[in-house]
Amino acid sequence: MNNGATNTNGNGYTLAVHVRGVTKTFGKGEAAVQALKGVDFDVRQGEMLMIVGPSGCGKTTLLSVIAGTLEFENGEIDVFNHSLHSLKPREVTAFRKRTVGFIFQQFNLIPTLTLVENVSVPLLINGVGWREAEERSAAILAKLGLAGRERNTPAQLSGGQQQRVAIARALVHEPRMVICDEPTSALDKDTGQQIMEQLRDIARHPERCVIVVTHDNRVFKFADRMTEMEDGRVQRVHENPERISEPLNH
Amino acid sequence: MFRLALKMLLGDRAKYAMLIGGLAFATLLMMQQSAVFLGLMSWTTSHLRNIRAPIWVGDAKVEQANEVKAMRDTEVNRVRSVPGVDWAVPLFFTILQSRLQDGNFKPVMIVGLDTATLVGRPALMLKGRLEDVRLPNAVIIDDLAVQRLSAGRKKPLEVGDVFEINDKEARIVGICKAERHFFGYPYIFTTFDQARLFSPKTRKMLSIVLASPIKGRSAVDVAKAIRAETGLAAYDENGFGWATIWWYVRNTGIPMSFGTTILLGFIVGIVICGQTFYLFVLDNLRHLGALKAMGASNFTIATMLLLQAMTVGVVGFGIGAGLTVLFGFGVLDKGMPPFMMPWQLPVGTFIVIMVICVFAAVLGILRIWKVEPAIVFRG
Ligand SMILES: Nc1ncnc2c1ncn2[C@@H]1O[C@H](COP(=O)(O)OP(=O)(O)O)[C@@H](O)[C@H]1O
Ligand SMILES: [Mg+2]
Repeated sequence: MNNGATNTNGNGYTLAVHVRGVTKTFGKGEAAVQALKGVDFDVRQGEMLMIVGPSGCGKTTLLSVIAGTLEFENGEIDVFNHSLHSLKPREVTAFRKRTVGFIFQQFNLIPTLTLVENVSVPLLINGVGWREAEERSAAILAKLGLAGRERNTPAQLSGGQQQRVAIARALVHEPRMVICDEPTSALDKDTGQQIMEQLRDIARHPERCVIVVTHDNRVFKFADRMTEMEDGRVQRVHENPERISEPLNH
Repeated sequence: MFRLALKMLLGDRAKYAMLIGGLAFATLLMMQQSAVFLGLMSWTTSHLRNIRAPIWVGDAKVEQANEVKAMRDTEVNRVRSVPGVDWAVPLFFTILQSRLQDGNFKPVMIVGLDTATLVGRPALMLKGRLEDVRLPNAVIIDDLAVQRLSAGRKKPLEVGDVFEINDKEARIVGICKAERHFFGYPYIFTTFDQARLFSPKTRKMLSIVLASPIKGRSAVDVAKAIRAETGLAAYDENGFGWATIWWYVRNTGIPMSFGTTILLGFIVGIVICGQTFYLFVLDNLRHLGALKAMGASNFTIATMLLLQAMTVGVVGFGIGAGLTVLFGFGVLDKGMPPFMMPWQLPVGTFIVIMVICVFAAVLGILRIWKVEPAIVFRG
């Protein structure tokens, strides 16, 4: 068990995320559901790690606790030297603000804002001025092939284009950890492939990590390593036999 | 972030319009009704501005300016003898019927001024000479009387025209300006003696004693002294005004009925604004949750919601206040209904509207405060 993680741990990889013994229970008493039953796993800097497993096994819950959006009961989570288990709520908020970029299944763009405004949100939350935020947002939108559409609203875009805006928003403030929950499941096959390709090209970076939860076996090839979950536990972490990208950190 | 908050608000046209409309309507209801109420209350004290004197003395039972209880003529002398009184003069006041050219009767308010001094004379003469009121059968009528009593005539009443008061001939020697009175009747000024000639004979024919303090004494003090010495009801001008207004507040349904409408405006505002804003927050729960996930603090989100609520408050109030002022200009020309807007009224209404908006924002803030940012991962 956890072969990949233990092997590589001693092999000179710098860890981005370190998770040990994490548990999370929803609800109380009879209705309680233990979604995480002692999760151990690591993410390396520079890698794109995929988390796979049957529906309901706790993937989204795991992402939520790593991202600092959900409290957990036991265990330790370290993300780029932030020990989430010992931070105060306010410090967790600051951690999310600076360190995490989010990509959601439902895109979650704000419909009444333009694309450039949507992308600017993380910068504005980080206190960047309006003008600079818009410049940086326009630049990253252009990088994702959306130049000239900055003033459109999300409703004027296709699903794939909206998810590209979401990628731009997740990356614009250069977070060290990018979190994606089922980023391609609302998209058709070709669009899903393109989105993953762009995500790999832009988000994958020697000093970052990208964690992707997915069902979609057609995009597995973009992963450096796979984490298999089952029933609230990580069963196996292994190098991806189908990988098509060169490793960033050896 | 605040710019984003405003764009999110303006982006939801329907709710924005609903919020603005609700608050504008609430503002209009509260402000317009308050202004009419204040106007009406000011009408109850018109005597004090149309018949001016520092001290008013009436029968012991008189509680307010529109109540006349006849006294014996000798009371004037008793008032004069109170230390601190500079002068005191009689005033006769009654309501009589005036017959119009078309055969109809209209009530008029007859004010009989002390013949020698004409104390209580109208503030502003529009036509004619005040002194001519001492001529036989002479009267000075106000501009409302010109409107009311001209029915059936080819031309409106003029100086020199003759009409009937209580079957007796009255000749117009002047036209004056007077503030409209609560009863809605015109003022007819004449002399004390002439007024008594117009009226049916009774034993007591003194209505009010108007008086003034000597230099160096306040009207309040001297009124108190008169009360103590004579047992009559004596008020300084200002005190009489407030006594009158309070009397109407206590003894009529007017404050109640206006109060109900004003309260209704408040309730309409709080219900529409509270509910619409809460729906707005619910609609945006996902997005606000996403903002929280991306690191916006509860404090930031709360400030955004407050800003949004205050913005609709300011705009809604602006529109409502504008409509009220338009209404005011419309009615001030016609003099009906009464309308009075001291600066405290818009300021007070604005504060009430802001309270409504803060309440609405707090509802939304309480809702979003507890939201786990992780909801954004859920479908
Ligand atoms: N907010 C919640 N309240 C109660 N139960 C929850 C909640 N979120 C998730 N669960 C339960 O936790 C388990 C894991 O859910 P989840 O992490 O969403 O799984 P996955 O993303 O792998 O499909 C499931 O049994 C789910 O029903
Ligand atoms: Mg899930």
